[in-house]
Amino acid sequence: MSDVVLKNLGKTYPNGYQAIPGVDLTIEEGEFIVLVGPSGCGKSTLLRMVAGLESITQGELSIKGSRVNEKEPAERDIAMVFQNYALYPHMTVAVNMAYGLKNRGVPKDEIATKVNGVATMLGLNELLERKPKQLSGGQRQRVAMGRAMVRDPKVFLFDEPLSNLDAKLRVQMRVEIRELQRKLGTTTLYVTHDQVEAMTLADRLVVLNKGKAEQIGSPMALYEKPATTFVATFIGSPAMNLVPAHAGHGELCLAPALRLFNPYEYEGSVLLGIRPEHIQLCSEAEADLSMHVRAVESLGAETLIHGILVADEQHQTPIVVRLAGIHYPEIGGRLWLQLPNQHWHLFDQTSQQRVN
Amino acid sequence: MIENRPWLTLVSHLSLLFGIALVALPVWVALVASTHPTEAFGSGQIPLWFGDQLSENWGQVLFSSAGNGIDVPVWLMMLNSLIMALGITIGKIAISIISAYAIVFFRFPLRGLAFWVIFITLMLPVEVRIVPTYEVVANLELLNSYSGLVLPLIASATATFLFRQCFMTVPGELVEAARIDGAGPIRFFFDILLPLSRTNIAALFVIMFIYGWNQYLWPLIVTTDDAYYTLVMSIKRMLSVEQGDVQWNQVMVTTLLAMLPPVAVVVGMQKLFVKGLVDAEK
Ligand SMILES: Nc1ncnc2c1ncn2[C@@H]1O[C@H](COP(=O)(O)OP(=O)(O)OP(=O)(O)O)[C@@H](O)[C@H]1O
Ligand SMILES: [Mg+2]
Repeated sequence: MSDVVLKNLGKTYPNGYQAIPGVDLTIEEGEFIVLVGPSGCGKSTLLRMVAGLESITQGELSIKGSRVNEKEPAERDIAMVFQNYALYPHMTVAVNMAYGLKNRGVPKDEIATKVNGVATMLGLNELLERKPKQLSGGQRQRVAMGRAMVRDPKVFLFDEPLSNLDAKLRVQMRVEIRELQRKLGTTTLYVTHDQVEAMTLADRLVVLNKGKAEQIGSPMALYEKPATTFVATFIGSPAMNLVPAHAGHGELCLAPALRLFNPYEYEGSVLLGIRPEHIQLCSEAEADLSMHVRAVESLGAETLIHGILVADEQHQTPIVVRLAGIHYPEIGGRLWLQLPNQHWHLFDQTSQQRVN
Repeated sequence: MIENRPWLTLVSHLSLLFGIALVALPVWVALVASTHPTEAFGSGQIPLWFGDQLSENWGQVLFSSAGNGIDVPVWLMMLNSLIMALGITIGKIAISIISAYAIVFFRFPLRGLAFWVIFITLMLPVEVRIVPTYEVVANLELLNSYSGLVLPLIASATATFLFRQCFMTVPGELVEAARIDGAGPIRFFFDILLPLSRTNIAALFVIMFIYGWNQYLWPLIVTTDDAYYTLVMSIKRMLSVEQGDVQWNQVMVTTLLAMLPPVAVVVGMQKLFVKGLVDAEK
């Protein structure tokens, strides 16, 4: 049975700003859904509408088959983890975790068992008597998760829960969240703007752009077949290269003198998308095209080469190539490139939609 | 900062000592005078060392009658003052915390107006509205009663404003977390907001208690019955006896007793008071 269903869910703020024009999404039981998108695209708004913290101005939201549009957050059987943890500063860790259960009239001994169970699972046993002030950021994050877990809710909601942690801890917590979610099997809706987090955590990703779901699908599906240029450039780092071109007659024309064989059937102005990691270096004879090297970023395991496509003089198309291992190309020099056409993504220039 | 300039140290210590003497001397004189017979103070030279009437003066003033035309003992007036001060303090805190709660956390029509109306009452202390307020209190037949002493002084824009500032620093996420945890408005108020504003309440308590204890004009106007006299106003009455001399020793006992409770409150709540003024727990 599907767990959470968003039917044309929309939000217009009282000041008349339409943050979400309408989103359709069906979440299966136990699924981990990640909402991702640039800042201001409405991720938090959508999440908060599911939580009941923001009123729903359009459409219908149902959890476990019943409509919850008008229900208070506490009656929706959801739990939320906030970016700044939102722990009650005057309560100890144990009381923080117990508070929601206490308000629901759960008997004392049952609360104690549940709190202890969750504390053991999260390794918080030593910290139960501390106040939030006496905890590190990572520990606070853990307590916030514990507080959500003790209630054993139908849905977990996370709003950028890791963005206040340092890089290393973030990786560690990311793995931990995924493991816990698998173990508990609780349906989860997770907001982030970090695409690594999004790719690694999600069963399915929802890419939001200006409040609209641009594409919904598994991380690999979005990586391999982005439906729009927005998704194409948002998923993957560094972003996909987009080169304006004209398609027709089995050819892709990047510049009057630069024509490539085009196996895809489409006629018109397009953007040729190719990921930096799919571009290969080659000899001048085999080359599809060439670039002028502008900058090199060496990361050890890989090298990023930034440059300008050599096509025609008017359009200075930037291009990024990602090579495994260490390379020392000459700055200002010329590199010969091959663009394997099985990795091409073609987008219509006006609609920005995928056409191959 | 560590400095080693003996002269500077000496001078600053001397000036501090001088300051202390300036403040403490009148208190000392009052204390000494309260142990002498009446004539000692009126005779022209002020005694600087204790006399032999300590227990008699204090005993009489505290337990039988305050003297100088006031027939009730000082302990009764202390009780009156205490009831008035506590009534004003608790009433002010309770009312202003509730109104600040409404203004900060609830969206209702004319909310801004409500806040500004409360704020404008800052310009209307009792002294300004004393005639109409007296009229109202008299019509309600509250003259010579504790309610009459306390109620007109309870409304407080200052405290409302302070609590409003304090509540506005409560992060939105905390409010939302409580909502998800199933805490309704009442639970949120008692379980979260009240404990979070503990230190602010303490600071206000100190300020308001002293304000209430030192009330002079209002008690002077609404009480005509000795049984409802408060300590601070009684001192003035004691100084304007109709026949005979002022019994200075008794006045001094009363004065000293009037100073004690505020000092006790300040000393007792010093820690919380300072905390409330300087740091926020949130
Ligand atoms: N109370 C409000 N009234 C009017 N507009 C709002 C309100 N809250 C948010 N918005 C607008 O709605 C849009 C979406 O906001 P939202 O907070 O959902 O973005 P977000 O995707 O979570 O961004 P971020 O990644 O920065 O957190 C923004 O353009 C924002 O300005
Ligand atoms: Mg957000």
